Amino acid sequence: MFFEVRRLGIIAALAGAACVADSPQAATTSRAIVVVDDAGDTVQLAAPARRAISLIPSATETIIALGAVDRLVGRTRYDVAPQVEELPSVGGGIDPSFEAIVALRPDLVIGWDSDKRRTTRLKLGALGIPVFSLRTQDTADVFHGIGSLGRLFGRDSAAAALVGSIRAKIVGVRAAVAGLPTRRVLFVVYPDPPMTVGHDTFIDELIGTAGGSSIFSESPKPWPTVTMEEIIRRNPDLIILPQGEFTANALSQFRQRPGWRDLTAVRNGSVATVPADLTQRPGANIGDGAIALEFAIHPELRHTGARR
Amino acid sequence: MTHARPLLDWPLSARLGVLVIGTVLALVAAVRLGAVSLSMSAVVDALAGRGDPATLIIVRELRLPRALQAALVGGALAVSGATFQALLRNPLAEPYTLGVSSGAAAGAVAMVVTGWASRLMWALPVGAFVGAVASMLLVFRIAFRVGGSRSLDTRVLLLAGVVVTAFLVALVWLVLTFADTESVRSAIFWMMGSDAGASWRGVGILAACFVPALIVLCALGRSLNLLSIGEATAAHLGTSVEATKIAAFGTATLLTAAAVAVSGTIGFVGLIVPHAIRLLWGSDHRGLLPCAALAGAVFLAAADTLARYVAGANELPIGVVTALIGVPCFVWLLRRPVTR
Repeated sequence: MFFEVRRLGIIAALAGAACVADSPQAATTSRAIVVVDDAGDTVQLAAPARRAISLIPSATETIIALGAVDRLVGRTRYDVAPQVEELPSVGGGIDPSFEAIVALRPDLVIGWDSDKRRTTRLKLGALGIPVFSLRTQDTADVFHGIGSLGRLFGRDSAAAALVGSIRAKIVGVRAAVAGLPTRRVLFVVYPDPPMTVGHDTFIDELIGTAGGSSIFSESPKPWPTVTMEEIIRRNPDLIILPQGEFTANALSQFRQRPGWRDLTAVRNGSVATVPADLTQRPGANIGDGAIALEFAIHPELRHTGARR
Repeated sequence: MTHARPLLDWPLSARLGVLVIGTVLALVAAVRLGAVSLSMSAVVDALAGRGDPATLIIVRELRLPRALQAALVGGALAVSGATFQALLRNPLAEPYTLGVSSGAAAGAVAMVVTGWASRLMWALPVGAFVGAVASMLLVFRIAFRVGGSRSLDTRVLLLAGVVVTAFLVALVWLVLTFADTESVRSAIFWMMGSDAGASWRGVGILAACFVPALIVLCALGRSLNLLSIGEATAAHLGTSVEATKIAAFGTATLLTAAAVAVSGTIGFVGLIVPHAIRLLWGSDHRGLLPCAALAGAVFLAAADTLARYVAGANELPIGVVTALIGVPCFVWLLRRPVTR
């Protein structure tokens, strides 16, 4: 999560430019792309990116979902998508090797807006490599980001279709849980010290969509560290554990943990798991993440067979 | 500091000659090696301005400024460390003893948390520099106040440095406790130190600080010899003790602050390199200071090259390399029989 759930947010595509470029006559006169990224910098490409490097695994997955994986020439060591396994690694997403990036001759780098030091942006920008800074915090960021990546890769219609399918899944989840009681949920990002999700994060929003409410939803910090005392006091109905990212979250280990094992929800067996691949990366998967959360929060819906 | 006889009895010209050759070799290795493998001829061509654009950028805009920055930072920290060890008459003294690193960290964290670091490119180095200098001034003010006279008691100064460091470190973690995850991560990356962000402008600024500082400190070499024996002795032998202390502390601290501003806090160089030079060639500061500067440059340029090279594109934290390589070398130097 520390590497993944960075805010994906993205870009405000220049609204006007987007409409114009989509019209056929504009497309024939110029293929130039101008997009304002999440840091407020204007990113200008002469043509859709053909040799790109994404430093953000969730953005990499979105690019794959847009059918543009052949436009990627590098990856980070944190990427797990099999489609990019064979690409050369440029190191970490926050501390990449700049010379490994330069050697791949990229025409676009997708970087973290959340890197407060700006090292990547400054360094690559000075070398003439456009860097598009992406925010990835809430679902609005995700939808915005898909649109921006669509523009940067010349895949606007694929991006619109992807946004449409994610929205449809979310609408379906919302309809399925309509009328059911809201369950009070603790989403465990990491168990020791307990870290959960706060206000305006995509996970918090998806929990709300799926018929739950995070017990730390009011926290102004997106990924607050909370005390066990406060968890016990708020006494969640259900614990949700994402599986596959941290071994400390493995269910068998988790049930034995001091503090956690005494929680009412844990003693009652109200511990649900969701695949971390669907809930921890703010990209193309969040529609499936909403469905996974729906089944975690309302397991009775799993057997209705109505959807999926 | 080390009163045993040095291992080698070389004339200063031979020592400097060997270290200059070592510096050149370290810089050549730094430009030659990296995550991307380039042939020696491609590197030479790129240095001469020929070759494909990507290689030109890698050699001239990434490797060369980074190698020079690492060398300058290593030299600055080593010569500052030697000065602090002499002035404080304490073998554990290092460039960060008087609160420079914690002050720089406080300044850098302030810039990260307030968001200035992501808006203005110079906010982070300027914040770190200002924090470093401010904490030094605070340490000296406390030392003068507590000392109760016009003279600077180095024992009080040392304690002031320790407590101000403790206070600022606590302040940094208090702020980070309430900061968002991204700020915490950015701040920790900064505190780990790195020369990855090196630029020609940074190298120029650092060089413009380094050269005059080195000249001033070397000119104080004889006075530092006397001060490291004792202040009363130094005064008897005609050294203006207070003026020397102020000039040397001020110069070494400003130099350290400049180094930390461009690279974050890189540990270990400023502590160990001066000791290694003393063990090898003796503790006469007229030779020790220029030798420590060059040896620090060799050590950090080589360590940064290893950090960029050994794990391919996955860069190692520089502090990991300096300690893993430096400690065994230092222990090897220490293990000679103690003869009088």
